[in-house]
Amino acid sequence: MWELFVRSLDASIVLAIAALGELIGQRSGVLNVGIEGVMLFGATFGFIVAQTTGDYTTGFIAAIAIGAIIGLMHGVFSITLGVDQVVSGMGIWILGFGLTTYIGNPYTGPLGMARIDRIGGLSPFFYLALALIFLTWFVLNKTSLGLKIRSVGENPEVAEVSGVSVNRIRYLCVIVSGMLMGLAGGVYGLSYNPVWNYNFLMGWGFIALALVFFSMWNPFIMFGGAVLFGALWQLALSPEFILPGVMSRYLWRMVPFVITIVVLVLMSTRWFRTHWGAAKPEALGVPYKKEG
Amino acid sequence: MKIGEHELKLIKRVDLPWWNAMIISIISVIVALILFSLVFVHSGVNPLTGFKEIFQFAFLNRNGLPLTINRSIFIFLCTCAFIIPYRAGLWNIGMAGQLYAGALGAFGVMYLFGAKGDPNLYIAPGIGIPLMMIGAMFAGGAIGGIAGFLRGRFNVNEIVTTMMLNSIGFWFISYMVKEGGPFMNPVGRSESFDLPLSVRAPLVFGTPFTIIVALLLAILLYWVFAKTRIGYKIKSYGLNPLAAKYSGINPQVIPVLVFVLGGMIAGLAAYHYFGAMPGVFKIARNYAEFGDLSFYGIICGLIAQGNPLAAIPVSLLFGGLTNGGRFAQGKLQMGFGVDYALLGVMMITMVVLQFFYRYKIVWIKPEKEISDVGIIR
Repeated sequence: MWELFVRSLDASIVLAIAALGELIGQRSGVLNVGIEGVMLFGATFGFIVAQTTGDYTTGFIAAIAIGAIIGLMHGVFSITLGVDQVVSGMGIWILGFGLTTYIGNPYTGPLGMARIDRIGGLSPFFYLALALIFLTWFVLNKTSLGLKIRSVGENPEVAEVSGVSVNRIRYLCVIVSGMLMGLAGGVYGLSYNPVWNYNFLMGWGFIALALVFFSMWNPFIMFGGAVLFGALWQLALSPEFILPGVMSRYLWRMVPFVITIVVLVLMSTRWFRTHWGAAKPEALGVPYKKEG
Repeated sequence: MKIGEHELKLIKRVDLPWWNAMIISIISVIVALILFSLVFVHSGVNPLTGFKEIFQFAFLNRNGLPLTINRSIFIFLCTCAFIIPYRAGLWNIGMAGQLYAGALGAFGVMYLFGAKGDPNLYIAPGIGIPLMMIGAMFAGGAIGGIAGFLRGRFNVNEIVTTMMLNSIGFWFISYMVKEGGPFMNPVGRSESFDLPLSVRAPLVFGTPFTIIVALLLAILLYWVFAKTRIGYKIKSYGLNPLAAKYSGINPQVIPVLVFVLGGMIAGLAAYHYFGAMPGVFKIARNYAEFGDLSFYGIICGLIAQGNPLAAIPVSLLFGGLTNGGRFAQGKLQMGFGVDYALLGVMMITMVVLQFFYRYKIVWIKPEKEISDVGIIR
């Protein structure tokens, strides 16, 4: 049972870090629906570099670096060129899906390195994720930078007038956001599921996207959601823990996705929105062009 | 930017004439192919040889051409499944899930006839084939409709929903055809039962009759978008849902409508590949590969810019490229996934060139200034 708990927490960490990245970007008003693509890049490059150098740290650095590059790319498309953010995100997803399939293919198979040591029985990334989530909350809510980020996400025109460089803040956020997504991919490919296969994220990026919508843009609620989802995912993988012999294992695999949809629907009802108040950044997904 | 006398300037477009849009699309395809040649270079293959192999096999080879056409029909149907919601400003990336549902719908009809394990069962083709198509369209439309309904009624992001439905569909079809699932082939492994001989689709000049269905569909959709009231409603909802609402268009109905239609066409794509392709006639073991292939619908839809007639040549090109890519990959001993790499490169080029939908580059030639000697300004 402990093993199941640890495994489900491992899954939650990946989702939480990726969703945290998306949350930061969205708070500054940039929607990136291509999390899956960035994570695939991070996972694949992290995997390849770690396997070639035999060093985990280098692998993670590679994952973060490629994440930053892809984040920057999304920034150039959606901030500077003013391309529709959904189009750009979709492009990043399919680019990641297509290119990593080709690039990673010779590395198909297990990583073949000693597993990363656990600290206090839990993955070290658990502590890292907690620290990052707290840090994000702190920066967003307690610092002037956070105020700038939120104001850029809510009303870029007003922010610009009050002396905040909208584009600079947004670039900062998409790059940090890409780094976190890349890291999440790295954690997935090097720690949670260190067996490379094409498209081995199987939609986790989209689940992370759903988590951000679920979180009402609050990092702590997001983490709670990630923990619940991780548990759900792990149970669906090994249903024999709770309900042995009920339903085919294939049908169990559908359950987390069904529940994601159901939760999103509940969250989207007017009743829920009025009771809890939605904190959706007002300018989310709207390209901003400085006048003049 | 200044180059000599001339000045290069970016100007915001006021409108986008169709020939300009076409030029942008063609340029993006060419740029993507040039970028894609890096993949050949990476594998130590001369890009020209690579492209020659691809195009020769895809369009000139006696074995390759039918494969290309069959793939193109499939991609074209997926493109239509993407285009209809795209016209309404919605993203259907759930072609894969709708496809799996469609396949199950088509084979479900045959299952009800008792076709499992009895390939010699006689079902009048005039009844069996239309019923299979209806089953496929019904199932695909139902899955698509879920995403549309949730979007219209609760404003749930359709990208997330359709992607979740893809995963649900994938595991459900796995359940149905694997490990003793209801549709499992009694003799084969991990694939569905074979279609009875009597309901295998008739061929028209060596291609499944679905090619005619696809062409008719293209014309029909073009007509619907260009001439009918419903096409206009879809378009105005896509441009501005709120404005559409005030002009009397029901904002809850349009998403359902476009997603049901899209899902139905994706279901038809499933029927085409699993029910009408010579040599298949079952839910083949590599069904997930066709789920991946359906993502080409997104790219083709973007390149064709939502125009169903333009989607025909685009689908043909991509059917050929993926088919020839597979062949070249084997012949030139390149790594697996060449066609996937093309998918990625194509998509990102398309995204960058979207920029030119809104801006254009113009050359400004400065007028010769009249040298006004003697007048001090």
